Amino acid sequence: MKTFKKITYIIPAMLVITGIQSCKKFLDVKPKDAVSDDQTIFDKSSSETAVRGIYRGLAGDSYYGSSFVSIGYFGGDNVQWTGSQSIVQDFISHNVKTDNATVEGVWSGIYSTINRANNAIAKIPAVNDIALTATEKNQLIGEAYFIRALSYFDLARTWGGVPIVTTPTVTSSDGNNIKRSSLADTYAQVLSDLNAAEPLLPLPTVQNPVRANRETAWALKARYYLYQKDWVNAEKYATQVLGDVTNYSLLKPYSAWFANNAVATKESVFELAYSATYTNGERGSWQPPANGGTRQWAPSPAFITLVNDPTIGGNRNTIIAKTSAGLWYGNLYYRSPATDPAYVIRIAEVYLIRAEARAQQNNLIGAGSASTDLNAVRDRAGLPPTTAISQADILLAIENENRLEFSEEGHRWFDLVRTGRAAAVLGITDPNKFLLPIPFDQVTANIPQNPGYH
Amino acid sequence: MKIFIRKKHLYSIVTKLFLVLLSTATFAQQGSLPPNNSKLLGVVTDAVTKQTIPGAVVAIKGTTHVVATDEKGRFEFITAQKYPYTLVVTYVGYKTTEVVADGSPIEIQLQEDINNLNDVVVVGYGSSTRKNLVSAQSTIKADEVKSIPVASFDAQLQGKAAGLQINSNTGTPGDGIFVRVRGTTSINASNDPLYVVDGVFLNNTSLQTVNTGGRATSPIADINPSDIESFEVLKDASATAIYGSRGANGVVIITTKRGKFNDKPKIDFSVTQGVAYEPKGDLWKLTTGPEHAEIVNEFYTNSEADAIAAGNTAGAATYKYLPFRALTDNPTATPAPRGLPGDQHTYDRLDELFRTGALRDYSLSISGGSKDTKYYIGAGYNYQDADIKPIYFDRGDLRVNIDQKVNDFIQVGVTNSLSRSFRNQARAGDGPAGGLFQSALHTPTYLPEVNADGTPARWAGFDNLQVLLNNYKVGTTSLRYVGNFYADVKLAKGLTFKTSWSLDYNNYNESEYWNDKTQLGAAPTNGLATSSITDASAWVNEQTINYHTLFASKHTLDVVVGNTIQNNVSKNTFAQGSGFPNNAYTDITSAATRTASQTWTKSDLASFFSRVSYNYDSRYYLEASARADGSSKFGTNNKWGYFPAVGAAWRLKDEDFLRDVSAVSDLKLRASYGTTGNSNGISNFASQGLWTGGAGYPDITSGGDKAGTAPQQLPNKDLKWESTTQFDVGADLGLLNNRLSLTFDVYSKITNNVLLQTPVPEITGFSTVYSNAGKVSNKGYEFGIDAHIVRTKEFSWNSEFNISGNVNKVITLPAPISEYSRDWITLRQGSSMYSFWMYKQLYVDPATGNAIFQHADGTKGPTVTTADRQIVGNALPKFQGGFTNNFTYHAFDAGLLFTYEYGNKVLNMNKFFGEGGGTRDANRVIFADQLNRWTHPGQITDVPRVTAYGNNYTLDQNSRFLEDGSFIRLKSLTIGYTLPAEISRKIDIQKLRVFASASNLFIITKYTGPDPEANVTSGSQTQGLDLGTPPQPHTIQIGVNLTL
Repeated sequence: MKTFKKITYIIPAMLVITGIQSCKKFLDVKPKDAVSDDQTIFDKSSSETAVRGIYRGLAGDSYYGSSFVSIGYFGGDNVQWTGSQSIVQDFISHNVKTDNATVEGVWSGIYSTINRANNAIAKIPAVNDIALTATEKNQLIGEAYFIRALSYFDLARTWGGVPIVTTPTVTSSDGNNIKRSSLADTYAQVLSDLNAAEPLLPLPTVQNPVRANRETAWALKARYYLYQKDWVNAEKYATQVLGDVTNYSLLKPYSAWFANNAVATKESVFELAYSATYTNGERGSWQPPANGGTRQWAPSPAFITLVNDPTIGGNRNTIIAKTSAGLWYGNLYYRSPATDPAYVIRIAEVYLIRAEARAQQNNLIGAGSASTDLNAVRDRAGLPPTTAISQADILLAIENENRLEFSEEGHRWFDLVRTGRAAAVLGITDPNKFLLPIPFDQVTANIPQNPGYH
Repeated sequence: MKIFIRKKHLYSIVTKLFLVLLSTATFAQQGSLPPNNSKLLGVVTDAVTKQTIPGAVVAIKGTTHVVATDEKGRFEFITAQKYPYTLVVTYVGYKTTEVVADGSPIEIQLQEDINNLNDVVVVGYGSSTRKNLVSAQSTIKADEVKSIPVASFDAQLQGKAAGLQINSNTGTPGDGIFVRVRGTTSINASNDPLYVVDGVFLNNTSLQTVNTGGRATSPIADINPSDIESFEVLKDASATAIYGSRGANGVVIITTKRGKFNDKPKIDFSVTQGVAYEPKGDLWKLTTGPEHAEIVNEFYTNSEADAIAAGNTAGAATYKYLPFRALTDNPTATPAPRGLPGDQHTYDRLDELFRTGALRDYSLSISGGSKDTKYYIGAGYNYQDADIKPIYFDRGDLRVNIDQKVNDFIQVGVTNSLSRSFRNQARAGDGPAGGLFQSALHTPTYLPEVNADGTPARWAGFDNLQVLLNNYKVGTTSLRYVGNFYADVKLAKGLTFKTSWSLDYNNYNESEYWNDKTQLGAAPTNGLATSSITDASAWVNEQTINYHTLFASKHTLDVVVGNTIQNNVSKNTFAQGSGFPNNAYTDITSAATRTASQTWTKSDLASFFSRVSYNYDSRYYLEASARADGSSKFGTNNKWGYFPAVGAAWRLKDEDFLRDVSAVSDLKLRASYGTTGNSNGISNFASQGLWTGGAGYPDITSGGDKAGTAPQQLPNKDLKWESTTQFDVGADLGLLNNRLSLTFDVYSKITNNVLLQTPVPEITGFSTVYSNAGKVSNKGYEFGIDAHIVRTKEFSWNSEFNISGNVNKVITLPAPISEYSRDWITLRQGSSMYSFWMYKQLYVDPATGNAIFQHADGTKGPTVTTADRQIVGNALPKFQGGFTNNFTYHAFDAGLLFTYEYGNKVLNMNKFFGEGGGTRDANRVIFADQLNRWTHPGQITDVPRVTAYGNNYTLDQNSRFLEDGSFIRLKSLTIGYTLPAEISRKIDIQKLRVFASASNLFIITKYTGPDPEANVTSGSQTQGLDLGTPPQPHTIQIGVNLTL
């Protein structure tokens, strides 16, 4: 009994001691799959991982991984929707509402990418690591500038002028006082970032279209100037890119750049890479159930007719396929796991940019003319040279070539809006619809809604 | 069943002799007595059942001489008292009875105490009696609900306690359900009550990682309901504040069965067998193939006309050719011809999905005790089919509860429960691929199940139903240990120290395999396998010191102080493979492509708590409690939270003016005020600014991914507890000798600092940050009646009714938050949670057939903008409750339980998809309701004209699909027969009961889907979304309970 009595007092004494062990330490628990944001970019390795993270943001589902690209083709006339969500149909019928979830996803996806770039741009210059050479450092910063330029470019062509954020977000209130900039200021930011990126980025030493180099920046500049209707500069930068025949060329036949699991071919000036771990979101929406998809996004009857017409589509009808039940489906995104690249800039686009820039400068036919560039693209598709001669006809031929060439990439909508042809081609009567609405829950006094949306 | 010999054995022989000699039920005076001391022999029995009562306390009034009855209900006194003297017999659950002993032997019959005022009631970190309760607390006896065949005990409690809202959202056995105690307080943190099983804080967050269409399993289903003795539902602040940061959503204390000291071994065996089914008449009504075709053709005709009228030539071309036209009619035009409507067949897939499932339940337990040891050993097996293929649940479990007196002042004990639950799961919820209801319900009825070449046909992005049913492999095994060790030490008179260590361990092993016949595994994927193993453990150590004293004869003081430390760790390893050689290979090792991930998360909680209860003469009660909680989840500036509460009660019955009013047998007024907290359900690292490592990207072409990092989460160092302050006023009234008792409560709960993923401007690169923003209020009332309407030996009728109403309101919210796809559910300031944000369709214009919508500016018309979206009702009921009736007639017993809800809205998403006016053509079924569409001027209908243009069928958030979900349901019906005691004694058994029971036999509701309680996800933020979910089954069972 005596022993028990002792235990009676020892047990509580022990437990009280256990209870008052260092509470502070006990209550400090850190995760293992993420790290504190105090220490993010501080040496060579962390600089490199942070820049890869920007690319992954760019390649995310809500950006080039699917949603942003879908705005580009749904707004056009090549793709129809067979699913149940009206948010997709709204792009096709040009009746996008402010609560459209795709619009919100893209808005947030692009700004998330910008924040990643802002972190790199702000922090990498201060990294003091002997292992990180000046060239490497410049390249990393240049890539961040390039992606930020692309991001603001995409924001501008989708929404017009947008709020410009150029510093990393540290606290939740950082965005509270930033106002919407004008369209001109937004494009000025794009140019400023491209100008910053260009000298920092090296010229390519090997063919590597999954990362940006100086020529990638030129290609984007060509597109940028095309949007600005600065035909001279558009032609100039397109020519600079096209001059690198080592790294870029139009592959024959048309399907050579995507079929048979091809990746990073010479067709691509800039494409985004996917893997079994990081998959491309497009496939599931395009492929039919027999291939494990939903085929909610399908080529439109009008496009099927065009692309199957050998005098118009040439050999480009390999981009669609037919199920055993006779349903057509888009076949650009088909791999399993879904490692289909996202094609951001293809060399065919650079040809057509230059063709358009030349046509606008009335350089229509003959060597080094709009027709030469247009015919290069037509030739690759197995088509004879264009019969168009007048400026208007050549511009229309370029527009139609763009439609067939980039049927499942996000170009058609932006091209028609850019050239002012959306009203005529798509029958849009309300010019307010050329811009998408700011997501309703992002609208504030600082960020007013676009006209025509409520 | 004789175990104890020696003195007791002899004693029992002696008493048997008496019985033989006298052969009557009552004893007569007998034998000669010692000259000075009289010897009294007696037996204590239940007045109604005539069964003996072991463990009753018998005292001679006016003396300190007390004995307890033995396992046969017998006692003896050897006393100097002279006959006649008075005996006082007390036993829990029975009225204290005084009898005059005027000779030996004596039989004392005890009447069951129907008001249970002196019943011991479990409270947080202690116990009390019903009479002395200051807080609002409901007790549910497990026996009353155990015939309802569900896997988890929470689903059995529907309608049984005022203030407790329970909705089984699905017919999938073992899936999580919707449980709320006094409303919904939280937005991003958990709203489930805290479940405490024998002192162990039970994890009730699902460990599921595989996708079953948005549904998640219930960890509570790992516990065998047969082992449960009772439930205590703690509702007001006075009751829950001692649980501090875990108490804001209410607390459910579960006590499992234990043995009794000095009790002979008792064996309980029970078998139940039954069926689960859903009557075909309750299911969705679909169009036939020809009807589907007619509607789609009409849609094309109307759309073409509308396009032409609008000058839209492209549109006119799209709708030029009817899809259902003769196969020879423009065969190459798009869409291709599918034959005339009259040529279409009809395929019934629902019939293939639904089935009559089997229900089986076996349980066996042995309990008893010696002088120093008591034990309960239980084992059970439960099997339940869902009412649809191929889902089933089975569980085997074992429980060992032992208490041991070490000496006069130390008692130790263990509680152990070990179970293995297996679930054959399926995607019965959201999502196209692999979804059972998408295949069976949403596939158009005209589309055949097999292709012309005999291969299974897949339509509309959905799997083939037969392929799914026969090739489905989603199996989950949950191994669960819930156990506790305690030592209880009496330090001095009235002073007890208790320490306990508890563990809730769960190993949750999921595997999923989609072979190449299924959509997810089809070529080029060639088989998709997932293995996910989650290992969750939560341990709690707690110490309490209890002090109880009665001083100056009328002052009672109870004090408890204690501390606990808790630790929760959850680990998951996830592996996925695709590209299998063929369907015979199913292990990920054989896959060509393999990916894996690993997660780990942990939280710690340290707490100190105390409660002081004082009462004067069982008339005036005062109670105060407080708890301090420190959590690793919160910001460095706000780790600790403090949760105090006070309660007071006044028992008027014992006042002079009521003491002699015989009609009023009890009257108590209660009030309490206090604060509780909540942190459950948010990420363990919610306050920390984090960068993820999961953003890899290659450096060079074909170089493969290299590690990448990116910002993931913004920090909030001020993040702290969300706290709920509750004010409660209640009254308990007993009338007519407690044959009628009433309980009434009103409360107001205000939740401040609501944990919220607050939207931040997305231009920052983030969408949300965890913060304490927002305020939610819940105000409500509860009323319960318990009436012993008839109580005779032959017939008894006991009736219980409860009703509770709650009004939920989001008082402040920095920015509206949308939930689920299409923003159907919204959270906004000034409205209830679970509000539906819709375009309000007023009617269909009889002249044009167009849907007419309410505009924000008060006008109406066929056009809308987002500004016209408004809140149209919410998913929470205005009031709800239950109505129980129990009858006994001689050896027969019957029970009926109705549950009801009023005013809850349900979004019928199945109908939303099925009433698309032909816009979804071959991609969705068309419901029979669509046949009521507007077709000619003057027609009155709410189903608009079918067309691709305008807003008739292009608004996903049309209020037309929001329905009234009010219902009254016959939740359970039981009829039993118990073998009369005289007969069962002869065959040497204690009790034998056979019974038949049924659940969900009928429902009265205006809702057009099969089950208004259905909800597509298990997410805490959504409710009232009915899509692709199996209805709760109707069940019929028969069973036997045998006690030896």
